[in-house]
Parts: sequence; C-alpha cells; structure tokens
Amino acid sequence: MTARPALALLAVLALSGCATLLGGPGRQTLADIERAKAERLERDGALRAALEATTVALTLEPDDPALRERKARLEARIERAVAEQMQHARAALGRGAYLEARRHFLMALALDPGHAPAFEGLRNEVKEVRFVTHIVRAGESLGSIAQRYYGDRSRSEVIWEINQLPRNPRLTVGASLRVPEIPGVPFYLSPREGADPSRGTIPRDDLAPEIDPLVAEARDALERKNFAEALASVDRVLASNPYHSEGAELKKTILYSLGKTRLGERRYDESYQALVQLAKLTPRYDDLTDLTRQARAGLVQQRYNEGVRLYREEKLEQAIDEWKAVLELDPRHPSARKNIEQAELILKKLDERTKR
Amino acid sequence: MSAASLRLRVAAGGLAALALGACATAAKLPVVGRPTLESADFIVVTARWGDTTAELARRFLGDARLAWMIEDYNDVTKLSRGQTVVIPKRPWNPSGVYTNGYQLVPVLTYHDIGPQAKGRLVIGAKAFGEQMHYLKTHNYRVVSLEELHEFLQLKRQLPRRAVVLTFDDGHRSFLEYAYPVLKDLRFPATLFVYTDYVGSGRNALDWDDLARLDAEGFQVEGHTKTHGDLRRQPGESEADHARRLRAELEASQRLFQQRLGRPARFLAYPYGAADDAVLAHTRDSGFLGGLTVFREGNASFVPLFRIRRSQIYAEMTLEDFVKNLNTFAPEPIK
Repeated sequence: MTARPALALLAVLALSGCATLLGGPGRQTLADIERAKAERLERDGALRAALEATTVALTLEPDDPALRERKARLEARIERAVAEQMQHARAALGRGAYLEARRHFLMALALDPGHAPAFEGLRNEVKEVRFVTHIVRAGESLGSIAQRYYGDRSRSEVIWEINQLPRNPRLTVGASLRVPEIPGVPFYLSPREGADPSRGTIPRDDLAPEIDPLVAEARDALERKNFAEALASVDRVLASNPYHSEGAELKKTILYSLGKTRLGERRYDESYQALVQLAKLTPRYDDLTDLTRQARAGLVQQRYNEGVRLYREEKLEQAIDEWKAVLELDPRHPSARKNIEQAELILKKLDERTKR
Repeated sequence: MSAASLRLRVAAGGLAALALGACATAAKLPVVGRPTLESADFIVVTARWGDTTAELARRFLGDARLAWMIEDYNDVTKLSRGQTVVIPKRPWNPSGVYTNGYQLVPVLTYHDIGPQAKGRLVIGAKAFGEQMHYLKTHNYRVVSLEELHEFLQLKRQLPRRAVVLTFDDGHRSFLEYAYPVLKDLRFPATLFVYTDYVGSGRNALDWDDLARLDAEGFQVEGHTKTHGDLRRQPGESEADHARRLRAELEASQRLFQQRLGRPARFLAYPYGAADDAVLAHTRDSGFLGGLTVFREGNASFVPLFRIRRSQIYAEMTLEDFVKNLNTFAPEPIK
C-alpha cells in the first residue's frame, strides 16, 4: 500500500539507545530518509504517500521549516488534485460514462481516503462495472460460462445472481446472460484456449444459494420416504407463506413421489388421492396423467373386487357402497352398475319377504 | 467501539506515550520507557527484544486490539529488535482506497453445524473449527457487522484483513459448535434469525438463547418472519407484494422489540434475494443495511442494502474456503 513507509531501511539504521536515537544523529538520519522518500514520491506524483512520509519526517524533526513547507505544499496539491478528479468524475457522469466516473472518484479517494463527496459519488452515482452479454450455446452451464470469462467455475454464482435466475436454472440455448466484470478477478473478453484447470474449483455446480430449514426437514423426510412428515413440514412452510416457491415446488415433488410409490405398492387409494391433489396444483406434471390413470384403474379394480367379496358374504349394502365408489371413479363401469342393480333387486325382494 | 471512541483511545495512548517520551528531552535519565518521538499524527519508537505489535498497541494506543494499526501501517506482523516502528495515532485510510486498488471486507455466511457434515448447509464441526483457526493463524481480523457498517459509512477504518462472520436462520447447533470456538478466539459474530423458526423445536434457538447471546455481544439481526423469497412472485400484484413485505418485516420487528427490547437493524434477505422493491421497502422500514449472498467482498462504497456475503458450504475444502477471503481488489487507477 502507498501509505507504507519503507521502514525496513530505518530498522537497519536504528540505534538502540534512547539518547542516541532521540538526541543525536540517529534521529537526523531517520528524518533524512523519510525526507528523501517524500521527495521521490512527490516527484512520482504519489502525493498521498509523499504526504505520509513528510508527516513521519516531521514527527522526527518537528521544527524543520523545509518539511513544514513541503507538508503545506503537498496538502494544497492534493486538494487541487482531488477537486480536479471530482470535476472529471462529474463530467463523466454527465456523459453517462460510469466506468470513467468511477475511476476519477477512486483517484480522488486514493488522494484523500476520507473524502466524503467522492465516496458518496462512488456509492450512489456510479451505476455498474463492465458487463458483457453472453448468448447461451448448446451444452453450456453457468459453471462453464464462469470458466470461460473468469477462468473459474466457482464464480458461476455471480452470473446467477446478476441475472436473477431461478434456483436451478435450465439455460435455454440462445438466451442472453449478463456477465459482469468482478473487481479483482481476471475478466477474459475473448475466448482462451484451455483455461487453467489446476485452479481450485468448488465441487458441484454452486447454484442453490440457501435452504429454508423447514424445507430442509421436509426434504429430509421425503428422502426417508416418510411422506406424512414431509407433507406436514412443507404445509407449515406454505401456511405461513403461500408464495414460498421452493416450498410449493417441493410439495409437488412429495405428492408425485407419494403417488408413484404407493402405486408400486398397490396401495391405490393413497396413490390416487396424492395424484389428484397434485393435479389440482399443477395439471401437467411429468407423467402425472398416465400415473393417475393407472392408479384409478387399480383402485377401481380393487374396490370392485372388494364389492364382489362383500356380496359373496351377503353384505349387500356394503357391496353396493363399494361399487358406487367404483362408479364415481369410472361412471361407465359396466359390471359395477349391473351388480348394483342386481344387489338392489335382491335387497328389495328380501325386504318384501320380511314385510310379509 | 465507535470511531469517536477509537479516536479517544488513540488520544489516551498518546498521553501515555508523552509520559514515556520523557527521555526525549532528558536523555541522561535512566531509560524507564523507550526512545519515543511523537507528533499529532504518529509515534515513532524503536522495538525492543520481545516486543509485539499488541504490546506496543496496548502501551501507546491504549488497546492491544489496535495492534492491526501498527501491523498495517508498517506492513509487518512481527517486530524485531531495533526495528523502527511508526505507530499511527489516527485512522489514515478510512475508505481503504489506494492507488493500486481497494480494500474488500468478506462477510462469511454459515448455516447449521453438526458433528458431521450433511448436505451442503450443515458444516462439520471439525471443518468449522479449522476454518476459524485458519483466520486466526493467518492474521485475519474478525470484526463485527456493526464495525463493518461504520466502515461502509466512512466512519471507521478497518484492519486490512478484516472479515465478518454471520450465521443464518438461528440453529441451536450454534451454541454447541460455534459459540465455544468464537469465544475462545474472541471472534464477534452476527446471527440472522427468522422469527417463525425461533423456538420452533429442538433444532432452533429460542428467544432466551438469543437474548443471552445478544447480551454477550453476539449481534442478533433479522431474516424476516417466514424465510420466504421477498421478491415479487409471478402472479403477485404489486399491492399484494407490498402487503406481504410489510407483514414479513413488521411481524419480525414486533418480536424483536418484545423479546430483545429493540428492532433488528440489519436484514439478511432470505436466499439473499432482493429486487428493487425489496431494497426500497427494507430501507423505508428503518433498517440500516441489507445483506445478499453475492459471493464477493465488500468495498467501503458498496451499496448499504446490497452488502455481499459469501456462503460457506459443507463440501468446501480449506482451499475453497480461503478463496472467499480476498481482502483486496487490485485496480491500478493511475
């Protein structure tokens, strides 16, 4: 940093005794070194560093008129230079040249690191740093794009955040992304061959920014196939915030997974209920229509058979209920309707016989 | 510690130095102090055997924690005997802007900590401890969010290797795994809690925990009520969005007021996500700053409602972790 005095030199020359350092030639020597440094820095235009060195020299030689004069001169020069930079910055802002304005504000601050107007200008008036627009090509991911511009896949999050992408974005070929320059990171505007792969990268695409713990609990329960718990957790998230998009997505995943799992286990009733609930949230979801048809067919068959079983046990009313349920699922089920008619006929005859 | 008290402390150190500087005018007296020269801006001393920057800071600036001022100004971490040391008595670069670039202050974000890493947001206790010790042994200076905020207003110069630590959501594991390490290393930290989670079960901190932590100097700040994405959602009208934002922030602030006796001053946007309406609403609700999860350090002139944070994930190696500790943006501006 510019403020750092080259004190290593001083260390060599420093004398250990109190008297010699403070009263004698040691102090003189130190002051001379700082003085020489200040002169060189001022010549080089490093006004701030020159002022610092002069102030250190003045600490050693408080009464040296030449040093006092140099300090006053440097302060005046800095003031003028800052005013000039501020003027340039304002002019650049007027032209909409934000990067140029930014540079002038930074120069003003480097000259006077506590200069409030330059600081405020930098914060409030300078819009953006450099951006390029990248058109997505086939096979690209945020990671590969970050590798292309920064030589570092793990910077993909910057692109993610600037473009306000959803949490697990699927990049569409031909879509345009804004890729910003990151201060302090190389920015490769033209493609380079074989970006250095030896640079450490963060494993996996670093995209999901953060997870709600309740959502995490739900996800966890889903992994354990504890669907009831998963649904309860996600419903709690959604009850407090119906716009919780991650929660809403997760609920769909849970319902789908529940429907499919129970279908495989031939627990058609639960399967069908889950799938119907999912269809209410989103009618088109993967192979939902097909699964629902299978679940419905399975459930129809199951309840129809249950009706037959009850009929054989002469539990006619219960059998009718089952077949009615079948008709609700499948209004054109031929056997169910016929069986109900048959059972009702028998019931009617039984009824008449009892009355007699 | 405010900028004013920093100056005060520096001034008090100056007095001490004046007293010690007696031998400047009476060179023949026995040397009780050390060779010292002082102006309004600097104290110049010669290091003696066994001196540390902390010792000099304690002695001349009145606070050992100001060792960084000596280290940064002289660009050293260790002193050798006979070395001339320039001790700055006041901040000399509050914005951290130099002709070759500018200072960045990384804000690191953790979530849950467990005995073992799990997924990307539950970091293993061992890895966490290693990361904290890395900061210590590599001379990073952990500062509070409050101090960063002063830096962002040009009111406080920060150490060149300043880093801020934050913990999101309010997991109970903070007490078991982070608290002892942070206490031991004297690292300040900020917890961002969303109020629906506080006290919601065995994995969550409750308000009593938070009140204790707050009293101990761990900063407790806001993370909304429900942790829902604050940005306007597709299909949500502007009016509905405004209503939802108000509800999220007001409900959370009411609880802060009730349970901690003060509102939250900073808001970590859930998922780090905020659009212009969210930024404006956060500012209008009286917050002093808002934090995203944009993975980059903060220049002093970063917008106050877009403070950047770098999330530390469980699967990161120590090398990955270190990539989040960049404290300088080289940018030659001449």
